[in-house]
Amino acid sequence: MCSFIMAIQRSILRQAALVFGTLGMIAALFPLDSQALPLFARQTGQNCMACHAGGQFPELTPYGRMFKLTGYTIGDRVKVPLSVMALATYTKVGDTSKSDNSAGDFQKNGSPIFANASAFLGGKITDNIGAFVQWTYDNYAAPTADGSSYTGHAGMDNVDIRYADRFITPSRDLIFGVSLNNNPSVSDPWNTAAAWMQYVPVPSPTSNQFIDGAAPFPGFGSGGNLAGINMYMYLNKLVYAELGTYQTAKGIFSPLSAGLDNAGTTKLQGANNPYWRLALTHEWGPHNIMVGTSGMIAHVYDDPTDTSDSNSVSRILNTGLDAQYQYILDPHTVTAQVAYMRQKTDYSANTVAANHDGTNVSPYFAADGITPLAPFNDSDTTNVFRAKLTYVYQAKYGGSLAFFNLTGTTNTALQSSGYDSNGQVTSNDPMETGIASTRVNGNLSGNPATRGLTYEAFWMPVQYARVGVQYTAYDKYNGATDNYDGLGRNARDNNSLFFYVWGAY
Amino acid sequence: MKKILATLLVGLAAASAGCSNLERSRDLANPNVPPAVTAVQVCSNCHGIDGNSISPNFPRLAGQQPAYFVAQLENFRGQHRSDPAGFEYMWGLSHHLTDDQIKGLADYFSKQVPQPNAQVDAKQMAAGKEIYEKGIPAKEAPPCITCHGPKAEGLASFPRLANQHQDYLVKQLQVFQRTDERPNTPMTQIAHLISHDEMESVAGYLQAFPHDKK
Repeated sequence: MCSFIMAIQRSILRQAALVFGTLGMIAALFPLDSQALPLFARQTGQNCMACHAGGQFPELTPYGRMFKLTGYTIGDRVKVPLSVMALATYTKVGDTSKSDNSAGDFQKNGSPIFANASAFLGGKITDNIGAFVQWTYDNYAAPTADGSSYTGHAGMDNVDIRYADRFITPSRDLIFGVSLNNNPSVSDPWNTAAAWMQYVPVPSPTSNQFIDGAAPFPGFGSGGNLAGINMYMYLNKLVYAELGTYQTAKGIFSPLSAGLDNAGTTKLQGANNPYWRLALTHEWGPHNIMVGTSGMIAHVYDDPTDTSDSNSVSRILNTGLDAQYQYILDPHTVTAQVAYMRQKTDYSANTVAANHDGTNVSPYFAADGITPLAPFNDSDTTNVFRAKLTYVYQAKYGGSLAFFNLTGTTNTALQSSGYDSNGQVTSNDPMETGIASTRVNGNLSGNPATRGLTYEAFWMPVQYARVGVQYTAYDKYNGATDNYDGLGRNARDNNSLFFYVWGAY
Repeated sequence: MKKILATLLVGLAAASAGCSNLERSRDLANPNVPPAVTAVQVCSNCHGIDGNSISPNFPRLAGQQPAYFVAQLENFRGQHRSDPAGFEYMWGLSHHLTDDQIKGLADYFSKQVPQPNAQVDAKQMAAGKEIYEKGIPAKEAPPCITCHGPKAEGLASFPRLANQHQDYLVKQLQVFQRTDERPNTPMTQIAHLISHDEMESVAGYLQAFPHDKK
């Protein structure tokens, strides 16, 4: 690790001028005026740190959670309900040599890039209705056909439009609301929710595939770009309950997946894809804690472009547990988070039938080059655990440590490298059955196990700009510590340094 | 199902589009929102519905003197009070409040019943009591009791201090001592006479103010 860090020092120095130049421009563009803040801050007139713990987005303070749960309606309606943010990044992967195509596998490695930008629309609409709508342009959305560069793409990101009311009597404090959203748990006010627990900001994983943003986190198998209606209540700042259901974002809900093509939009069967959330909360002094559970049952079509066959629907059951502790007392902010998510996927009837009639067969063999591999699984289970500890001083200087651990069932269908009939490991497909096989992303074991640590340090010179550096170290990747692809690549070869400059207005 | 959801959405939007809900509004720019509504819908998020805030980041307002309360909100609104707690949280929230709304908020919180706060250790309690009641004669620091009263209940423009959070009191004393962010108060001069340990003691005594003195 030391030699790796020394090796990248020179290139970091070369990029420093660019990064700090960008930072300087951000600081120059945004004067130190407490009114000149992003959308919600303009609405309430408050600093970012009123709602974001230690000023670090997106993690919310107790007050920020109340702002969200009451429908983003506190404050004055602003005339131009718009904010923007942009992200410049630099990534360096530990080892680029163990690759069949390092130029393609690590195309933007060591290059500073303008990663993405978002526009936010929303805030208070009426006394009871408010919105959070994020539209994101990803400069590295997809590789071009020849793999030599990338194409940018803009599309709908997170959407949460809600109606909320709050009924207060001397003995009762009840918030009730309804959220129209496009991503399970984006409506959740705690940072351990699947939609919020990843490190942010995140550039497109297509250009930086091993940074923390691409590492396992407790997400929902259904993915985003859906259409959900969730009802929620928060009683006496003690019990939070949410119940909703999701369906494909089509028809009147199609704006929730605007910008995504048909093949890239998750297709759910019907509208019976329930999501639930229950949390208990308590505050004492500068401390607050939440313990909760969440889950979802999603019926997902195997092929988003073909929803004609009900036998091509897989059932994904997610069940999660999470907890968060915060200590917020100026100048200190401490947050501890843990989240666990179990995911059981029952593959579609068509997949199961193909598993049993001999259609689905692995092109690889056991190590002897003779014995066929076990048949594909009819169902798989994964377990993701993630824990994170963060400290921020004066809402300016922060650091964190996160641990992630994905375990799961072994399935030969997951293998993207294996032994051929000569007992030699190959990253090619010996039977040409069409399995995508690249060396860096190879999986020899058929097991998804991935484990590692992410360290981060960041600095917020002003409240709407952040400079951060992350280091993600893998102890296990695709089921193995060493030689996970069968061709010599080790988990630690994927260790990645990630440097970013983020700004918002 | 889709029709039900669409109807629900359209209904909710129609029910609240363009109209204000004065009984449960969180609008801070509408002069017609009653102060008691703003108190429970907005202020309560930090200060508590009954003004007994839980987090020491936010001062307790229960039983606060109305004259002091009005003066502070006017200072926030006019951006004359610029301590961090002031401009980070209160400038924006108070920006459009009317004089009547400010008076109404003062009335609401002054009528709330202060609740006991966390205890401090006996040594700090005794030292704080000594400072509160007798001042620090060697430094010519006057006793707090002179202005803030035997029950630390305050009087007019002198704030109630009993059961206030220790951390908040210390930070405000430091604002008086080190900055000019809260101008035009005798506390600027007094705070210069007090050490940090003495601030901690007297603030601790006030946080745990003896219940039998109420």
